[in-house]
Amino acid sequence: MLLWLLAFVVVPSAILFVYSFCERDELGRVVFSFTWENYQRVFDPIYLRIFVRSIGYAALTTAICIVAGFPVAYFIGRAGEAWRNRLLLLVMVPFWTSFLIRTYAWITILKQEGLLNAVLQSLPFGLGPWDLLYTPTAVVIGLVYAYLPFMILPIYGSVEKLDGALIEAAHDLGAGPLRVFPAVILPLTLPGIAAGTLLVFVPAIAMFAITDLMGGARVPLIGNVIQNQFLQARDWPFGAALGVVFMALFAATYWALLRFRAREDSIG
Amino acid sequence: MSYSTQLRFVAGALLALAAPVAARAAGDLNLFGWSEYVPQTVIDGFTKATGIKVNFETYSSNEELISKLVAGGGRYDLVQPSDYAAEVMIRQKLLAPLDKTKLANLKNLSADFTGRPHDPAGAFTVPYMAGSVGIVVNTEKVKVPVTSYREVFQAQFQNRIVVLNDNREIVSWALKSLGLPINTITADSLAKARPVVANWVKLVKVFDSDSPKTALLNGDVDLGIVWSGEAAILWNQHKKFRYVIPAEGAHQFIDVLAIPANAKNKAAAHQFINYILRPEVSKLISAAFPYTNPNAEARKLLRADELANPASYPKEGKLETFRDIGRMASDIDRLVTDLKSAK
Repeated sequence: MLLWLLAFVVVPSAILFVYSFCERDELGRVVFSFTWENYQRVFDPIYLRIFVRSIGYAALTTAICIVAGFPVAYFIGRAGEAWRNRLLLLVMVPFWTSFLIRTYAWITILKQEGLLNAVLQSLPFGLGPWDLLYTPTAVVIGLVYAYLPFMILPIYGSVEKLDGALIEAAHDLGAGPLRVFPAVILPLTLPGIAAGTLLVFVPAIAMFAITDLMGGARVPLIGNVIQNQFLQARDWPFGAALGVVFMALFAATYWALLRFRAREDSIG
Repeated sequence: MSYSTQLRFVAGALLALAAPVAARAAGDLNLFGWSEYVPQTVIDGFTKATGIKVNFETYSSNEELISKLVAGGGRYDLVQPSDYAAEVMIRQKLLAPLDKTKLANLKNLSADFTGRPHDPAGAFTVPYMAGSVGIVVNTEKVKVPVTSYREVFQAQFQNRIVVLNDNREIVSWALKSLGLPINTITADSLAKARPVVANWVKLVKVFDSDSPKTALLNGDVDLGIVWSGEAAILWNQHKKFRYVIPAEGAHQFIDVLAIPANAKNKAAAHQFINYILRPEVSKLISAAFPYTNPNAEARKLLRADELANPASYPKEGKLETFRDIGRMASDIDRLVTDLKSAK
């Protein structure tokens, strides 16, 4: 485990950290001379604005995933033993196909002359065609689709462990469904929701393929900016600096989340 | 699910994504080329003719090629940079000089594509295919003539435009439309281009370098500025897609074959270049990827409709290749990123 951590976490992060203080030559090769320049650029208003926007997209994605994923996870978790595994399998099935192919499938659905608009226009309500593909809406649809399973699975884990007797007890004591949910079910599944939030929010913030393919690359998110430094701008040190700041941000969020949970535990 | 099982789940998913690394034998040819550019039939034909197995890896930008080449050591025997990337690779001594005695088929090339500024003596590079970046219009949807960059970026075409997702391209079009040079970029010329690019990016619906034809075929946009090869494929699908070289002048690219200085199998690399230069082989490349074929003998073998494709063989237009601009690439990236995120 220690070796694993060293090879896949510590060493790459250390390389990133060292590169972020380096300069580059005309070919984009990293030159080992110390500079703060990359970090000065990170805090340029341009990139800060993109940071904030990326956080917004990721937060919206996470919120929708919670709202859409919780009922699914709850239903699966409360289903009979025999059904549970089959339903879980359904959640996992999309992973059997390449993520990019599934994204292209969404393009087929959302495009101007696509599946969704064809259905809308065949209905008698005079709807459509909607301009969906290459809009921010399409990006959010893509993000929610990509990360929904990562929300469902941990919540399912919490729901499965949820003791039915507690819910019955609450009912016996006179609490209706509207009372039971916030007072009993939600607090007991909170660890699952927190884990799901982490699994969805963190990768969603850095995603670049969906913004390119479904958003038409019109509005850059931080993942696109970082990708550009490596593939277009020949500026690895700046890309590394963005990556380091990004990691620091996550570490801080994670730490805050842990603190929050520790406090919950001590109170609860 | 506890945290540790979740971690294991994620780790397992990541491991499953890691691709297996193919085994390489000593006599093989390690070819590193553009994606969607070298037909499999040509590679198979080479193996059949020479008995040399080809390990083919792909990249999708010159910058990716350069960074892998400077980082990866002697893993590749043959690479396929564009003109300006080859220029900087020659200057940095990353390429090996060609042994022209082993390239008898060099005589098949048209003089239009050799002796160009990136390699004036042709000592390091051999043209593979060439092309341009121009305007493509769906003439069923757009009834007015569109023949210049300024005519593409009009308010009436808002949200109906696709352009390459390539920051240097976009800035070059703005510079062309201002009559400024595209290969000596200064802080001053970028400042002049800034308001032009700012207006343009607001009108664009899709930025896509990999397959800009898709948005046009799907009907999501009606016009755009794309690679000529993409426009040629559109023309082959439907004659409503018309390609023109912008009146202000266009970017021409010449993609070349070159041998890295530290290549292990230079002999096989020469054999491959000479094989590609055979007219009947070069013809296959044109059929699969209808860019401009620099091989004069191969062009004689093309069908009349292939030669009549206005995107593959434009009749007229001012064309100019890119030169290396070094560190300005990152200023351009910053400019376009800023303008894209401002809207």
